[in-house]
Amino acid sequence: MTSAAPPRAGAGGFDAWKAATLAILIILALVFLAPTVGVLLSSIKSTRDIALGNLWSMPNSVYLANYIEVLTNPAVHTYMLNTLLVAVPATIGSIGLGILAGYVFAKLPFRGSNLLFLVLVAGMFFPPQVILIPLFRLFNGLGLIDTLWPVIIVHIGLGIPICTLLMRNFFATVPNALREAAILEGANEWQVLTRVALPISLPALAVLVTLQFTWIWNDFLWPLIFTQSDNKRTIMLGLVSLKGQYSVAWGVQGALSLIATLPTLIVFLFFQRYFIKGMTMGAVKG
Amino acid sequence: MTDLTFNAVRKSFGPLEIVKGIDLAVKSGEFVVFVGPSGCGKSTLLRMIAGLESVTSGQIVIGGEDVTNTPPAQRGIAMVFQSYALFPHMNVGENISFGMRLAHQPRELIAKRVNEVADILQIKHLLDRRPKQLSGGQRQRVAIGRAIIRNPKVFLFDEPLSNLDAALRVQMRLEIARLHSELGATMVYVTHDQVEAMTLADRIVVLNSGRIEQVGTPMELYENPANLFVARFIGSPAMNLFPARVVADGALQLAAGAKPVAAHVGAAADTKVTLGVRSEHLAITSPEQAMLQAKLVAIERLGSENIAYLEAAESPDPVAVSLPHTTVPRVGEMLPIGLSGGVTHIFGEDGNRI
Repeated sequence: MTSAAPPRAGAGGFDAWKAATLAILIILALVFLAPTVGVLLSSIKSTRDIALGNLWSMPNSVYLANYIEVLTNPAVHTYMLNTLLVAVPATIGSIGLGILAGYVFAKLPFRGSNLLFLVLVAGMFFPPQVILIPLFRLFNGLGLIDTLWPVIIVHIGLGIPICTLLMRNFFATVPNALREAAILEGANEWQVLTRVALPISLPALAVLVTLQFTWIWNDFLWPLIFTQSDNKRTIMLGLVSLKGQYSVAWGVQGALSLIATLPTLIVFLFFQRYFIKGMTMGAVKG
Repeated sequence: MTDLTFNAVRKSFGPLEIVKGIDLAVKSGEFVVFVGPSGCGKSTLLRMIAGLESVTSGQIVIGGEDVTNTPPAQRGIAMVFQSYALFPHMNVGENISFGMRLAHQPRELIAKRVNEVADILQIKHLLDRRPKQLSGGQRQRVAIGRAIIRNPKVFLFDEPLSNLDAALRVQMRLEIARLHSELGATMVYVTHDQVEAMTLADRIVVLNSGRIEQVGTPMELYENPANLFVARFIGSPAMNLFPARVVADGALQLAAGAKPVAAHVGAAADTKVTLGVRSEHLAITSPEQAMLQAKLVAIERLGSENIAYLEAAESPDPVAVSLPHTTVPRVGEMLPIGLSGGVTHIFGEDGNRI
């Protein structure tokens, strides 16, 4: 059976399999990065440069007026602030509830808890279009349309299934003996969660914070449905509203697009050392 | 100093009864070992003392106080887990002081106590390390440290040595024995390893499918097992058991029809019994004195002695015989085996000692 083994190069030798993997990864990276590079190039070109060249042409000089225009536009400040006002509480709310539910499902099971867990996770498979009109009518009835509240509430609700699933599965890997040891030391269930289970689960938390924050920050649908006035818009809606009726200010939009992605990038960079560990958790023992 | 009492303690998981009525009194300062095969209920019993499992019926009393429904932390107990159960995100000092910090004890007092405990266990140089930077034996010490710092009335050990290698196990065994004599605390220790039970215990409780088979000092159990289960379980190699029948004058006739063995069994003739003989009470004898003829199938050289395993028609299991280390018969040889020292155990048909 030795001939069936995959060819393995010795130390320092050429490994065709590895090289092919690397090549594919590089091509994929380029494909994913290309649009961003295009937007970046547009954002540092004047309207005249954009009109004369194409998306990929290099600018004659770095033109920063687009950025200055975006950054000094009070409407952009409002969009950014609104998005933060939605993304931060909705991220905290959904993860907080996911932690509590996940802990109960993992460590304090009760009769029927597995079924309840299934029902909860099934919430992930609801297409938003199905609940769009009922939710609009609900929040309209509550008089909350054209405020940020419905966006926050809906994002918390929609985040519960994924947050619960992830936290439950992570808490399930925390040995029961740790919980019991803490209880013998006099900890109550809340202290077991906050002093033992959560600190051990930082990788899972980092993944969740990054996922939830990015998803909520980038969301277009729910703010579009629930807000109307310009001063309630989030950044993704603002991006569209910068488009004129007959013309598109490509340079300004490019600049705003890049600025709009900065917060998610910051969140990712801040949490990435846990994130990598979290993504591979459970993949290898130990 | 505290005693521990079980009054008719039972535990069921749904329709399954795991602990079937345990009555036991552990004296203050005593080292009691629960021993038995997997699933005999010994760990469940320990967890019931700790309060990690509820009691279905009956009563657990620690130091005169009924703790059957008391929360774990208020029972005055501390437990050392098989898996150590150290908190991986805390260093050794933080692990040991976890309970004191939860109780918001003054910082100076915590530092003082942690130092005292670290001194006892000789882990002072490890206080800043994380559990993953420690060896198995060091982790076990930290787990014990977390128990000591609570000044518990009763220490509970749940198979604390089974994750350690053989050499370390012997060392930690001595350490636990030393700790017991230094602290003088009541200790309850669960293991499936009868060597651990024999070496550590003041008294051993042999459990089998949720019931106590026998309680006694290690030598009582070794020399006077109450029934076949204890006879098989305590001692290594296990006691040799021969199916037999009582003949005239209380002598025994082994199953395969060899000549009667002289004994004084107080039972009617023709009663079926089991003759138990430990390996050190059998020897190679002259053919005339032999109780049976057996073929040597294997020999274990332990250095100080040799254990011969023989196949005999009289016993369903191989017969173990302790030989001086200088006696090395050939494998395959037929040997005449007889009683030496005259220590035998007779068990009735119900398995109980006669």
